Amino acid sequence: MEKAQKGYFGEYGGSYVPPELQKVMDQIEELFEKCKQDPEFNKELDYYLEQYAGRPNPLYFAEKLTKKLGGAKIYLKREELNHTGSHKINNAIGQALIAKHMGKTRIIAETGAGQHGVATATACALFGLDCVIYMGEHDTKRQALNVFRMEILGAEVKAINNGEGSMKEAIDEALLDLAENYDNTFYLIGSAVGPHPYPSIVKHFQSVISKEAKEQILKAEGRLPDAVLACVGGGSNAIGAFANFINDSSVRLIGVEPAGLGLDTGKHAAPLNAGEPGVIHGFRCYMVQDDQGNPMPTHSISAGLDYIGVGPEHSYLKDSGRGEYVSVTDQEALDAFYLLSRTEGIIPALESAHAVAHAAKIAPTMSPEQILIVNVSGRGDKDVQQIFDMTRK
Amino acid sequence: MSLLLEKALKKAQNLTPSNPLGIGITPYLMAGDPNPETTLRRMLQLAKGGVDVIELGVPFSDPMADGPIIQAAGQRALEQGMNLTKVLRLTAQFRAQNQDTPILLMSYLNPLLKYGLESFLRDAQSSGINGLILPELPWRESSSFQEKLKKYAPELTLIPMVAQTSSQDHLKSLSQAEKGFAYVLSRHGITGGDATILDSTLEYIRSLKEELTLPLYVGFGIHSPNQVEKLAGVCQGVIVGSALVQKYAHLDALDLPHEEKLKKEEEIATWLISLRQPTLKEE
Repeated sequence: MEKAQKGYFGEYGGSYVPPELQKVMDQIEELFEKCKQDPEFNKELDYYLEQYAGRPNPLYFAEKLTKKLGGAKIYLKREELNHTGSHKINNAIGQALIAKHMGKTRIIAETGAGQHGVATATACALFGLDCVIYMGEHDTKRQALNVFRMEILGAEVKAINNGEGSMKEAIDEALLDLAENYDNTFYLIGSAVGPHPYPSIVKHFQSVISKEAKEQILKAEGRLPDAVLACVGGGSNAIGAFANFINDSSVRLIGVEPAGLGLDTGKHAAPLNAGEPGVIHGFRCYMVQDDQGNPMPTHSISAGLDYIGVGPEHSYLKDSGRGEYVSVTDQEALDAFYLLSRTEGIIPALESAHAVAHAAKIAPTMSPEQILIVNVSGRGDKDVQQIFDMTRK
Repeated sequence: MSLLLEKALKKAQNLTPSNPLGIGITPYLMAGDPNPETTLRRMLQLAKGGVDVIELGVPFSDPMADGPIIQAAGQRALEQGMNLTKVLRLTAQFRAQNQDTPILLMSYLNPLLKYGLESFLRDAQSSGINGLILPELPWRESSSFQEKLKKYAPELTLIPMVAQTSSQDHLKSLSQAEKGFAYVLSRHGITGGDATILDSTLEYIRSLKEELTLPLYVGFGIHSPNQVEKLAGVCQGVIVGSALVQKYAHLDALDLPHEEKLKKEEEIATWLISLRQPTLKEE
């Protein structure tokens, strides 16, 4: 379709929504552009990020892990230390503030692992907004405790039992809800996906990750890292971790997709590694689809990475060669989950464990002078029950 | 541009005993629900019954503009193995038996992209399709699509959609579309649901007339003669989707002898065309 336009990253992105929703997207874009430039808005955002979410979080030198792997120095960006336990709060606070400025009283959101749902429910509790979270039924089961957390925070969680009952169906329902209720409702998208302007909004609010990490690594090492690693589902933590390094060509940007049971089994959620371009959920991106253009069922041990598509900017970074996109299996992620827990005393989210797993693969092949930054996007408390069930059954 | 469509739209304005309001009627069917043969039979029957244009939906797993009734119909069709290739076969079969009633294909973009846009456009034209309704394709981004349409399927018309929230820019760009009709959404949101025709809606449709020279066809939630009578004063036609799909779905769920089903199917076709009979009382 049309290229090199606002809202596009190369040929990806765009706004493929029914006319009804287009107006809503235009309004959100207009207000986002205004808020971004507004010192008052930014002051308020910074206040909540610092005083409420606990930013900045550390860039921690993982000395034990580095020694154990024997190779590149590994630094961990500790997003899991944020309030609510993941990077999702950065964007939830930002978008909730936009919604407030638009005079919306009701927030809806999709969630996979529940981290974005919890972050959104939290922001809604803080700002006094009604909150409805859409979650695939399958996900509500594997992340039952997060569902309960959202309910404690006053949100209503709607379990979706269509299709695979994962993030795809949750986004479908949220978009339909928005089409019905946009007068009072704001759709707070958590992944770097969806129609324009959402991918740009999510990137804007998540780029605080790499803004801090860059300052922190320069202070600690006096130089830029050799690579930044982050897991990629929709790609919000990864685009945030990459954003301020994109123009530093010496820094490799490595996104790690979930290979599930293996790319060749068809049971994965790795569109950049095993998908092709298509249009879904209002934007153009790499997606996992069948020969008729319908999305295929996806699989990942990690609910937060279990999505058929991926952010448009990641699709573009892949094509342009600026980003490298690799994949690790469920088992490799699980091994890395234990590795980080036992060497550093940090239990990562299963999502983040994918990034750790790839770091564990490449660090030993690198020299001790080289530096890796791994984004630990979330903490693993939410996954303990799932892993308990998996290992004790 | 489709001559067949232009002819049908014009004919729909003629006042006749069976169309005293001079308003066009367009049923929407989901292709392949419950199977392609049934869809074909129903299309032929509706055409014979006097509908002016037929809108045929391509099933898709994530239909962003559709309510629960059409979503479910799409799901049933997909489970039956319906796909775009089979939809084109279906329209070609229809066209072999009916050369008067235009078919508009309503589809989400990804199945077309996957099929290959150029091949799709060529094949759509040769399979008897007369126009396309693409709810995800933003009109302001449709110029490259329109170029392809002109090149590969010059006999097809792209039908623009207009929402009450559509901006002036959107309307202005629509005035460039000179053929077919503008698909006007009667209400907020997604297909189906309750649609009381509010005075504000009538006012809005009237205001569109000042901007657009295209005939206006109103859809989303149309199901009663009352609605149609109200709308007849301000628009040229109505689209009946969810209400019809629902009736067919109920019928398909019944355990009846084939003959009985065919009879009920006739009744549904009669109901549909009677929507433009203002003398009939509400059920």
